[in-house]
Amino acid sequence: MSQSGPHVEVWLRIVDPNWTRKLEPGKIDGMYELTDYPLREGLIEAHEKVWENIAGPGPFWTGAERIAMVAESRTATSCLLCAKRRQALSPYAVDGVHDSETDLDAVIIDMIHRIRSDPGRLTRNMFDQVMGAGITPEQYIEIVGVVNSSVIIDTLHAALGLPLAELPTPQPGAPTGQPPANVTEAGAWVPIAVGNERPGMINGLSDNREPNIARSMGLVPNAVQLFFTAFRPHYALQNIPLELKQSQAEFIASRVSALNQCFY
Amino acid sequence: MLLRASGQPDQKDFDLSSITDDHTDSGVDFGHWLRSLTEAAIQNRWDDLTTIRERAGAAMGTQSMVDALVVASGFNGITRVADATGIPLDENTQQMTVDMRESTGIERFNYAEKSDRYDLITT
Repeated sequence: MSQSGPHVEVWLRIVDPNWTRKLEPGKIDGMYELTDYPLREGLIEAHEKVWENIAGPGPFWTGAERIAMVAESRTATSCLLCAKRRQALSPYAVDGVHDSETDLDAVIIDMIHRIRSDPGRLTRNMFDQVMGAGITPEQYIEIVGVVNSSVIIDTLHAALGLPLAELPTPQPGAPTGQPPANVTEAGAWVPIAVGNERPGMINGLSDNREPNIARSMGLVPNAVQLFFTAFRPHYALQNIPLELKQSQAEFIASRVSALNQCFY
Repeated sequence: MLLRASGQPDQKDFDLSSITDDHTDSGVDFGHWLRSLTEAAIQNRWDDLTTIRERAGAAMGTQSMVDALVVASGFNGITRVADATGIPLDENTQQMTVDMRESTGIERFNYAEKSDRYDLITT
């Protein structure tokens, strides 16, 4: 019997909760190895790819900062200030300091905690406060992409009764920068991609019209790619490749939208 | 709108008010279990979800139960992208869903209305 490989590693993790595989920077532990539930290989590969990508430098943030964003998103789920705000009539009625385990700027911590813990009450005011603190719209969008990609992955782990995936080891390097994006004003808080620039983000589109959700992070094409790599295996607009009828998938999608008070 | 359209191949009418009304039967197959799985996953009720997974899997099949959680987790992320960017509805959707948004209460989630409602009280 070989002394390496995923099966031995799974066994080691079960008998010794403190066991961790020594990983090379940028490499991640196999996701979903501990579950017996049937998950499609394409979904697992996509999530592993996203995790590796988050660990590397993005256009405007380092790998370490991007991983810190994921850590903050996780902390938000047990943050006392976030819990108090959720109980208040307005999230702005409760002041205080977030539980935090990173050295990200306070305004970024607040933004991430609001996105994770109270998305239904995000308002233009929150966005303006972040801009007022000197964060650029491009930096903002990269955070949105990283945090919400991790929300998908963390939610699925927890929903299947699995421990959350270990945070990857950050890769060194400065932010990469990017050429100016091809965007337009369309009534969102940020300029969004010109239509039909990046088709294929959502499976099953019957024509070439890109919905606004696929254009929403167009200021940072890297964020679009990252997020939809995570999202694409979860849904299609038609002929959904899951063991669900389209109507069942739409019911779930609609219910999540209502629970998160999402207008779009 | 997508829920309404998805009923056409099955020649079914789904009750759209079930999206926002907990007590309305959607008419969707295994709607009760889909609702239970979705709500427990989105509301972080992990202890409840352990039992719900088991019972839903027995009722609708393990793969379908897992796929329901796959869809729910995906939308838990994408709704936050929409909420964090304030994107408007797509033009077609805007025109075709006026009545539905009013009847289901979804119009309350309009970003301008949210700003009016939640930005009033500041410290």
